[in-house]
Amino acid sequence: MTRQEIEREVKTVFQREFEIENPEMDADLRETYEFDSIDAIELLLAIETFLGTEISQEEKKQAINIRTINQICDYIEKIAIKRNLFSPA
Amino acid sequence: MIMERRVVITGSSAITPIGHGKDQIVKSLLSGVSGIKPLRPEEFLSRFIHSKVYGTVDYPVEYDFKRNYRKTMGPVAYYACQVAKEVLAQSGLTEEFITSGRLGVAFGSIHGSPTVQRNIYRIFFGATDKSAVKEIGAVDYLKSMVHTTAVNITKMFGITGRVIASGTACTTSSQSIGYGYESVKFGMQDAMLCGGADEYDTITVAVFDNLLACSTAFNNEPHKTPRPFDKDRDGLVVGEGAGAVMLEEYEFARKRGANILGEVIGFACNNNGGDMILPNLTGITNTLKLGVENARINPQEVDLISAHATATKMGDIIEAQAINAVFGDNPHVIGLKSYTGHTMAACGAIETIMTLYMMQEGFIAPTLNLEEIDERCTMIKHVQKTLQQPVKTAAIQNFAFGGVNTILIIRKFS
Repeated sequence: MTRQEIEREVKTVFQREFEIENPEMDADLRETYEFDSIDAIELLLAIETFLGTEISQEEKKQAINIRTINQICDYIEKIAIKRNLFSPA
Repeated sequence: MIMERRVVITGSSAITPIGHGKDQIVKSLLSGVSGIKPLRPEEFLSRFIHSKVYGTVDYPVEYDFKRNYRKTMGPVAYYACQVAKEVLAQSGLTEEFITSGRLGVAFGSIHGSPTVQRNIYRIFFGATDKSAVKEIGAVDYLKSMVHTTAVNITKMFGITGRVIASGTACTTSSQSIGYGYESVKFGMQDAMLCGGADEYDTITVAVFDNLLACSTAFNNEPHKTPRPFDKDRDGLVVGEGAGAVMLEEYEFARKRGANILGEVIGFACNNNGGDMILPNLTGITNTLKLGVENARINPQEVDLISAHATATKMGDIIEAQAINAVFGDNPHVIGLKSYTGHTMAACGAIETIMTLYMMQEGFIAPTLNLEEIDERCTMIKHVQKTLQQPVKTAAIQNFAFGGVNTILIIRKFS
């Protein structure tokens, strides 16, 4: 899995689950798109499906301060690296 | 000294088995349209329920709610938010007022969203490993909790006043209007958006079916049931729908030039203090007396009663006796569930709105299917054909499981 694939998947999830088309990568999701805590929980479930791996409660709590699409991608990348799912190229 | 303020109605809307909005509902009432249709087959319960009829909203309702709102809404909240939206628009209240804290919401359903709950049960009974937990959505509780209608309304419209979410079965929305009325009357809020909703649900039918309270004799002719006060009535018909009204302090409404549709002049609620199911003559008679006292009127001033009249054998008889004991045979009495079925949490609001429409338009719709009055119910003045005549003061009666009784008294605004 590459960074590009992660970004593509996150955008797909945002379009499919949250009806947000082409979100800006560094926009504050709450302020710009009314993305809230309920959406965050739904997003974590979507990330688990995408990665095909369970995210621990501890890892989920680390997502609490995420505000932008780029930060979501960083978060997924970090978990993917930990699970040996990530390829830098 | 307790402050008491006049409370007027400045908006109303309903989604019912006989139409959505005033024009359709009035047309159906005037032409004797029944909203009772065959029970829709579903995967489990419908096969085993003896009653095969349902008060059905069988026309499309157009919604344009953004996803941010939709995500916490089950079908019941769609109904509730739609009628709330229409009432807010009709009232003409400004966004500044709506979000000021001076407007509250009194809204309920009998048990949240059964559609969502049913899905949770499906996961529960099909669970084989821990992955089943993830199938329960993060928002399933928000969609199915008993106050889901009230708080989806507050969220959608930014309402910041008090929330009253009664969940007292068939008196849910009559309590909503009653407690909303008291909130405005006693100065706790300047306006209250009040009502109730319930979605299509066969579990409710199964419950009443098991209690032998549902109509079963007219499965092949749904429009012929329920038959309030009729000799051949054989039980209630469950229905779906929603109703909402805007209650507002009179001076505030007058000063802002609101279109005043009617006035709420009284409300009472009590309990039978005993059996949870059987109708209770003493309890209901007391309710009606309390309502008249609360409205500070003479019982003879009431010229129309919308009876709870579910078309159960004993319920109708006890109600007729209670009406006769308090009002004599002066007021016309109608059973509006003959048109819609028993819309559960919505019935108090829907029947109040229908009564208000008749008051505004100067007619009284007859009780449908009342062909031969049960000899035990003849002591009150039934309506068997449409009457073109003014209605000045009307009472709306509702009774619920748990022995809860309510009466609302409304008056034509002058």
